[in-house]
Amino acid sequence: MAEFFQPLRGLFEYVNELPTSIAIRESQYFSPYLTVSHVVVMALVAGLVLMMDLRLMGLANMRTPFTELQRRLFPWQMFGMTLAGITGLTLTFSDPMRFYANIFFWMKMLMLLLAALNAMAFHYTTYYSVGTWDAAPAPPIGAKLSGGISVVLWSMIILAGRLIPYNWFAN
Amino acid sequence: MLEPLFRWLGGLPASKAISESLWIFPMIQAFHLVFLTILIGALLIVDLRLLGRGMIRQPLNQVARDAMPWVIFSLLGMILTGVPQLMSNWSREYQSEFFWQKMYFLAAALIFTFTVRLAVTRGSETGGTTMGQKVVAIVSIFLWFNVAVAGRLIGLFT
Repeated sequence: MAEFFQPLRGLFEYVNELPTSIAIRESQYFSPYLTVSHVVVMALVAGLVLMMDLRLMGLANMRTPFTELQRRLFPWQMFGMTLAGITGLTLTFSDPMRFYANIFFWMKMLMLLLAALNAMAFHYTTYYSVGTWDAAPAPPIGAKLSGGISVVLWSMIILAGRLIPYNWFAN
Repeated sequence: MLEPLFRWLGGLPASKAISESLWIFPMIQAFHLVFLTILIGALLIVDLRLLGRGMIRQPLNQVARDAMPWVIFSLLGMILTGVPQLMSNWSREYQSEFFWQKMYFLAAALIFTFTVRLAVTRGSETGGTTMGQKVVAIVSIFLWFNVAVAGRLIGLFT
């Protein structure tokens, strides 16, 4: 495992010494407010993603056709994702060695990747037949599965993200 | 004024158990954030609709009624994960300005959500929304935004 991350170590160490990285790290207020901003925009993205997932599972917003929900929420999810990306990257940039040594950080990155793959898999499979189940009282098993996997992954992204300050497994 | 109540809460055996464990408190905090995210999603889906930006082809009351069970569910989850944090950390929260700011905004947000906002989302119209509805959406977002921000700041400064 350690060898896998080795090429990244150099990059993280390089960023760690950049003057702007040090400046943010040493400022009293920038980092905490950056964290708060990240949490707020995360809730925007993940909140609307979860609403879509629960619709796919047949648990929420069932009186709205899936395509309508998806089309209207997608721009907001992308807007939030952009802001979450900017604030998240800046947080990592400001203290790279802390994140490099943190198991929750890497778990979160892995879950984000899996969530993206899950969304793509849904888009290229079950979504093709959306015309037949768009407003149906119960979504097909493929949709429920995609939605369920996404709920689990996004919950784990949030849990892992919040646990980053508690680095129980640091050596 | 509420100090005796806080002190009593903090003295319960369950409170001690939470503070003595290495991982219970962090896990409660993390799940609190998951419930917050569901809450924000269930609120925003209606607030965006009120702004005339979300699912405007659906009747307003239908979007609001579909979202309501998830508002209630996540609020219950937040209380269930919020109170134990208070139990194990009562003196710090009692002294935190952010904690009290959060509580004031929370009270205002709850009252607003279950009175004005509930009444305004009863209409069955589709399409664009009125200035009044947009104002309700902005007030709702503003109040809940402040609950979230002040809540996160409790742990960062004190």
